[in-house]
Amino acid sequence: MIRLLLLTVIFLSTSSLAYAQFRLDLNRMMDAAKNVGKATREIGQEEEIAIGKDLAATLLGAAPLVNDPRMQRYVNNVGRWIASQSERPDLPWQFGVLDAPQLNAFAVPGGTVFITRGLLERMRSEAELAGVLGHEIVHVVKKHHLKAIQKGAQTALAGEALSMATQQSRNSVVNDKLISFGKEMYGRGLDKGDEFEADRLGVVLAARAGYDAYGLPSVLQTLQAMNAEDSGLALMFKTHPAPGERLDMLGEKMQPTLDAYSAQPQLAERFRAEFKPAR
Amino acid sequence: MRLLLLLLLFPALAWAEPATTIRQVDIKKAPAADADTIGQIAENTAVDALERKGGWTRVKSASGEGWVRMLALRFGGPGAARQGDSGVSKLFNVARTGSSGTTVTTGVRGLDPEMLANAQPNPAELAKMHQFAATRDAAAGFAAKGKLQARQVEEVQ
Repeated sequence: MIRLLLLTVIFLSTSSLAYAQFRLDLNRMMDAAKNVGKATREIGQEEEIAIGKDLAATLLGAAPLVNDPRMQRYVNNVGRWIASQSERPDLPWQFGVLDAPQLNAFAVPGGTVFITRGLLERMRSEAELAGVLGHEIVHVVKKHHLKAIQKGAQTALAGEALSMATQQSRNSVVNDKLISFGKEMYGRGLDKGDEFEADRLGVVLAARAGYDAYGLPSVLQTLQAMNAEDSGLALMFKTHPAPGERLDMLGEKMQPTLDAYSAQPQLAERFRAEFKPAR
Repeated sequence: MRLLLLLLLFPALAWAEPATTIRQVDIKKAPAADADTIGQIAENTAVDALERKGGWTRVKSASGEGWVRMLALRFGGPGAARQGDSGVSKLFNVARTGSSGTTVTTGVRGLDPEMLANAQPNPAELAKMHQFAATRDAAAGFAAKGKLQARQVEEVQ
């Protein structure tokens, strides 16, 4: 009798324990589901800037800034002036030249733009720089990366909602997912359509800022003239449509705009003067 | 002699690069649509590109020297217009070795896909970056110094 009672007590306590455990898991699952929802809803500007901070720090972990304050300030002036002509002129825009020999440029959500020393060294004028920065600024303004990160994170989180339910810090899991998707995205690239849009509207932004609108096409021709097997182009070519294809698209849609603003300044002299110390 | 020195100092001023026409183009006497047409270059013809002005590139060709539409040129010699994606995929096939699928990174450092994936955040460098940012007003002053004028330009979708 006592033994039976004891067994009953043990059974009851274990089952209530199991019940408590189950409830806890249910709560966690609901939290996880909420976080999935969070990753799918519209991300506000503050959050966009916070995500961008983490991604920018990560890109700077791959390559530091060129140690040349004059060069950094010059690129910031050009970039900030162009960004001021965009639909999001009041983001905390900042621009950085990465000390990497590869040729590339990156836009980070929230208003951070990077260009590599390798790409800058291939340019001939401020208008060319303006064309590339204009392209990257469009990625930020149109939230191309933010939307791609969101989409990627959403898929992953939905699949992992169950396993996430058993983990401790669910918010940091969501955050880590966003970052790891961000990293992957910078290695994989955006949709072609986003790149073509950034080309078209980047040309418009450069023209609005008063530059010769042919800066971006000119850089694309430089890229095309390089050996496609140049290792410095690997990531750029992996993540973007071929320069020839981009030029075709620009020629098709942008010829009137390009021609209307082709006589604006190229500022080749100012560009060369600013880069004398580095060259 | 002084010109030669200038050219050596600023190679960007003059460059001769092999290019190919992607369509038949008129050769203009000056870099403008209403300039005199002094000849024609057939599609897929090799030329030397010499300099660019706006949407025009000065070229030397068997059919003469003058200005042609910049966007009618593709660089990298004959066949360059068709290079594009195949060249890139070839590159990636070369870079990928063995059945393990490990990628041999060809760059010295920095921004290859794998290094990017393994990058650890560098918040100190980000803090450094903030100090170089320009204010909207400072950038406007910088633009004015370069005689840049803001314009209304419509977006093209």
